[in-house]
Amino acid sequence: MKDFFMLIGFSEILLVIFMQWEVYVTKIVKTFSVSSYLIALFLFYLSFIQHSYIVLVLAILTAVIRGFFIPYFILKRLSRDPWRERESTPITGTASSIIISLMIGIFTYVLYEATMSSFVTISLGALPIALIFQGAFLVISRRSAFIQLVGYMVMENAAFLFTGYLFPDLPFSVEAGTVLDLIGIVMISGVIMRMRENSAKKSDDFDELRG
Amino acid sequence: MNFIYALPMVASLIGALLCLVRIEKFEETISIIAALTSSIFSFVIVFLPNISNGFFFIDGISKIMLIVISMVYVLTAIFSTTFLKYIEEPLFQKRFYYLLLDLFTFSMFFSVSINNLGLVWVGIEATTVTSALLVAVENDEPSIEATWRYIIIVSSGLVVSFISNIFIYASTGTLEISKLLSISSFSGLLPLGAMMAIVGYGTKAGIFPMHTWLPDVHGKAPAPVSAIFSGVLLPVALYVIIRVIQFTPVSYVKTFALVLGFMTVIVAASLMAVQTNYKRLFAYSTMENMGMALIGISLGGYALLGVIILILSHAFAKSSTFFLSGNLLSRYKTTKIDKVTGVMKRMPSTAYTLLFSAMAITGMPPFGTFFGEIMIILVLLSAVPVGWTILLMAFLALAFISVNFKVGKMIFSDSEGKNMERKRVGTIIPIIDTVLSVAIVFFIPWIEKVIK
Amino acid sequence: MIILSVIQLVYVLALAPLIAGLIATIEERIESKKGPSIFQPYYDLFKLFRKESVVPSAASPLFRIGPYVTFALYMLLTLVLPIITAFPLQFGPVVDFIGGGLTFGAAATFKKLTALDSRNNYSHLGTSRSASIGALSEPITVLIFIILGVISQTNNPYVINNVLQTSTSWYLSLVHWFVAAAFFMVLLVETGKLPIESHSTAELGAIDQSMEMEYSGTDLAFFKWGGYAKQFLLMSVFLNVYTVPFWVPMRMNFNAVFIYMGIQLLKLIALSIVFSFLEETVSKFRLFKNFDYISIAFAMAFLSFLAFNVSR
Repeated sequence: MKDFFMLIGFSEILLVIFMQWEVYVTKIVKTFSVSSYLIALFLFYLSFIQHSYIVLVLAILTAVIRGFFIPYFILKRLSRDPWRERESTPITGTASSIIISLMIGIFTYVLYEATMSSFVTISLGALPIALIFQGAFLVISRRSAFIQLVGYMVMENAAFLFTGYLFPDLPFSVEAGTVLDLIGIVMISGVIMRMRENSAKKSDDFDELRG
Repeated sequence: MNFIYALPMVASLIGALLCLVRIEKFEETISIIAALTSSIFSFVIVFLPNISNGFFFIDGISKIMLIVISMVYVLTAIFSTTFLKYIEEPLFQKRFYYLLLDLFTFSMFFSVSINNLGLVWVGIEATTVTSALLVAVENDEPSIEATWRYIIIVSSGLVVSFISNIFIYASTGTLEISKLLSISSFSGLLPLGAMMAIVGYGTKAGIFPMHTWLPDVHGKAPAPVSAIFSGVLLPVALYVIIRVIQFTPVSYVKTFALVLGFMTVIVAASLMAVQTNYKRLFAYSTMENMGMALIGISLGGYALLGVIILILSHAFAKSSTFFLSGNLLSRYKTTKIDKVTGVMKRMPSTAYTLLFSAMAITGMPPFGTFFGEIMIILVLLSAVPVGWTILLMAFLALAFISVNFKVGKMIFSDSEGKNMERKRVGTIIPIIDTVLSVAIVFFIPWIEKVIK
Repeated sequence: MIILSVIQLVYVLALAPLIAGLIATIEERIESKKGPSIFQPYYDLFKLFRKESVVPSAASPLFRIGPYVTFALYMLLTLVLPIITAFPLQFGPVVDFIGGGLTFGAAATFKKLTALDSRNNYSHLGTSRSASIGALSEPITVLIFIILGVISQTNNPYVINNVLQTSTSWYLSLVHWFVAAAFFMVLLVETGKLPIESHSTAELGAIDQSMEMEYSGTDLAFFKWGGYAKQFLLMSVFLNVYTVPFWVPMRMNFNAVFIYMGIQLLKLIALSIVFSFLEETVSKFRLFKNFDYISIAFAMAFLSFLAFNVSR
C-alpha cells in the first residue's frame, strides 16, 4: 500500500515537472488527464484493499470527471480558437521553471517531513503537499488562463490524494462536494474564457486593475 | 421544529428557482420577496434557542450573521432593480443576475448555519462559484480579468483550507463544530491546522498577503455586487475564522492572527493614501475593517463583541458607500477621483449620504464602527505593548484622513452643473443604510445578550 | 586475470565500430533505403590510416597529440569498467565509478582543447556548444553515480552490478528506475544522438561533428575510433549496470565469460535497435531547448534521491 502510494506520488510529481517542460497547451491538458487517471487508479486500489463502496464510487467519479470530462471540455474550448492560445512559455524560461518546480517540491517535502514527523498519523502525506505547491507554481509561472486552470486542478487533485490516502473514512459528502465544486469552477472558467474571446468593449484600460 | 432554522436558506433557494420563470419583472419581485422573507425568518430565529444537532449549529454569532446577510440581501435586491439598467451591455439577462444573487445568498446562509467544517468549506467554495459571474456583469476586458483573478486566487486559498480541515480531522477525529468546541485534548496538529485555516479563509476575507484580488474585484464589479461582497461575503469568511479560533485555545495561533490583522490594516491604510480610483479606495477601506476585525477575533472576549458590532455596522455603512459609488459612476461615467467634482451641486442627497457613510466606514462617532473599533482597541491596549496600539491608531488615522479627504474633494469641489438628481430608489436606499449603521449603536446591549 | 583484461580491451576496440555501423544501417533500413554495410566504419578507418595527416600551420603540438591522449584515456576506461565481467579485473581498482565519470570528462575536455587549438571557426562553435551542454550534464552524471553509491554503500561499479543483479527489491525500486531514466537521457547527450545532435555536418546542429573538422589521416582515425569506443563503453555501462545487469558472470569462470561476450553483443544490438527507432521518431531540438531536456534529466536524478529518502 505504501509502495503503491509512493509510486503514484512520484509519478504525479514527475508528471507535474513534465507539465512545466511542455509548451503547447493541449499537451499540458492531456498530461493532466493522465495524472487524474493515475489518481483514480490509486483510489480503485484503495477501494479493493478496504472493501469499501464509497471509495469505489469516488474513484469512478474522479476518473470520469477529472480524467475525462474536464480535459475534454477544455480541449473542445481550445480547438475552437487554436491560434489564440497554442503555446505558452513560462515567465522565467522553461529550464529555470523546471528547476524551480523541482526545488519547490523538494523543499516543501523536506519541510513537511521535518515538522510533521512527530505526528505519526500523517507522516506520509508529504508527497501530496509537495504536489500542491508545485501546482501553485504552475499557476504563477504561466500567463495562459487554461494553464492556470490546470494548475488549480492539480492542486485540487493533490488535496484529494492527500485525503484519500490518509483518511479514506472522511464523510463522503465532503469529498463529493469537492468534486461538484470543481465542476462549478470549470464551468465558470469556461464561460469566462469564452467571454474573454468576444468581450463587448475591447478596452485596454487596465489601469483600473493597478494600484 | 428544527426545520425552522433552515427557513432563511430555503427562502432564498426558492427565490432562486423561481427566477427561472419567464415573466417580465417577475424575478425582481420574487427576489425582493424572498429577501424580505428570509430576513423575517432570521429575526424570528434570534428569539429561538441555540441549536446544535447533526446538521445545524446556530448560536449567538450565527444568528447575528444571519441577520446581517439577510438585511444586506434585502437592500441589494432592491437597489439592483434600478442599477442594472446603467450597464450598457450586460453579460447576461436580469433573470440570471437575480438567480445568481439568490444562490449566492443561499450559499452564505448555508455556510453560517451548518455544523460540519467540511460542509462549511463546500458552502464557501459555492459562494465563489456563484459570485464569480456576478463580478463580470459589465462584460469588458478588465472585468473579466478581475473575475479570473478572483476565481484563481480564492480557489487556491480554499485548497489550503481544505488541507487544514484534514489536519483538524487528523488531530481531533471529528469535523463537527459542536464537538470541536468541547474537546479537551488534541495533538499538535490542531494549531497547525488552525493557522492554515486562517490563511485559507483569510484569502476569502481579504487578509494580507492574500488580498490581491480584493481591489480588482471591487473596482470592476457593479455597485450592488460590491456592496454584498464587502458587506457580507468577507464577514462570512471571518465567521469561519471566529469558529476556528474559538476551538483552538493555543496562544501562538492567536498571535498569528493578530499579526496578520495588523499587517492588513497597515498595508490597507498605506495603499489608501495613494488611490486615484474611488471604488478601489472603498475596497481598501473594507480590507482595513476586516483587518481590525481579525485583530479583535484574535483577542477574544470583549473584543469579540466589538467585532460583531463592527461587522454589523460596517455591513450597512459599506454597502451604502458602494451604492452611492454606483450612483456616482452612472452619473459621471468615470471612476477616477479627480474627474468627479462638485457632487454637492449635481447630486445633493448622494453627496450628503456619501459624506456620512465615508465617515461611518472610517470609524467616526456616532456610527457603530466607532464603537466596535474602540472596543477592539481597548482590549488591544491590555494585550500588547502600548507602542503597537499607538502605531495601529496612527494607521487608522491615516486611513481616516485619506478617505475623508478624497471624498470631501469629490463632494465639495467647485463645478458648474445643474442638480439633475431625482429622488428614486437609488438615492433612498443608501440613506436607509447609513441610518441603520447609526441605529446599531442602540442595539449594542441586546447584541451582547444574544452573543453570550 | 590479466589475460581477461587484454581480451576485454581487444573486444571493445574491435567491436566498437561494428556497433556504430549497425546503428547507421538500421536507421537507413527503417527509412526503406539499403544503407551502407555494417562494416563500413572499419573500411573508413582502414582508409584513414593509409592517408597522411595535414596539420594547420597555426596549431601547436597539442594538436597532434590530442587524438592519442583521448584514445589512451578510453583504453584506460575499457580496462576498469564492467564490460564482460562483474568481478574486478586486473586494473579494476585504478578508478572507481566517479573516477570513471571524471575520466570521461577529461577525455572530452582534451578534445575540446585540441578543437580550440585548431583555430577553425566551426570547431570553436562546436566546442562552445559542447561545453555549455556538458557543463550541465556532467553534474548529473556525478549525481547519478553518487546515488548508485548510496544504494550499494560503495562506489565500485562491480559491486553495484552485483547488488542490482541479486536483489530484486533494489532492482524494482523507484530509486533505480529514476536513475536509469536519467542516465538514459544523459547517454543520448553524450553519444550525440537525436534529439540532441544530428549526424550532418550542417552548422545549425553540429556539436560533436565540427570539433574534429581540422583533422585528417591517422589523427582523425584515432579520434573516430575513440568516439566509437566511448559510445560502446557508455552503452555497455548502461546495460550492464543500470538496466539489464543479468547474466554477467560474477565469479571467475572462463567459459561463462566467453558465453557472456556473445550475450553482451546481443544486448548491444538490442540497444542499437532502440536507439535507431528513437532517432527515427524524434527530430532535433532547437539548440536552447537542450537545456530544458537536461533540466528534466536533473529533475529525475534528484527525484531518485527523494525516493531513496522516502523509502528508507
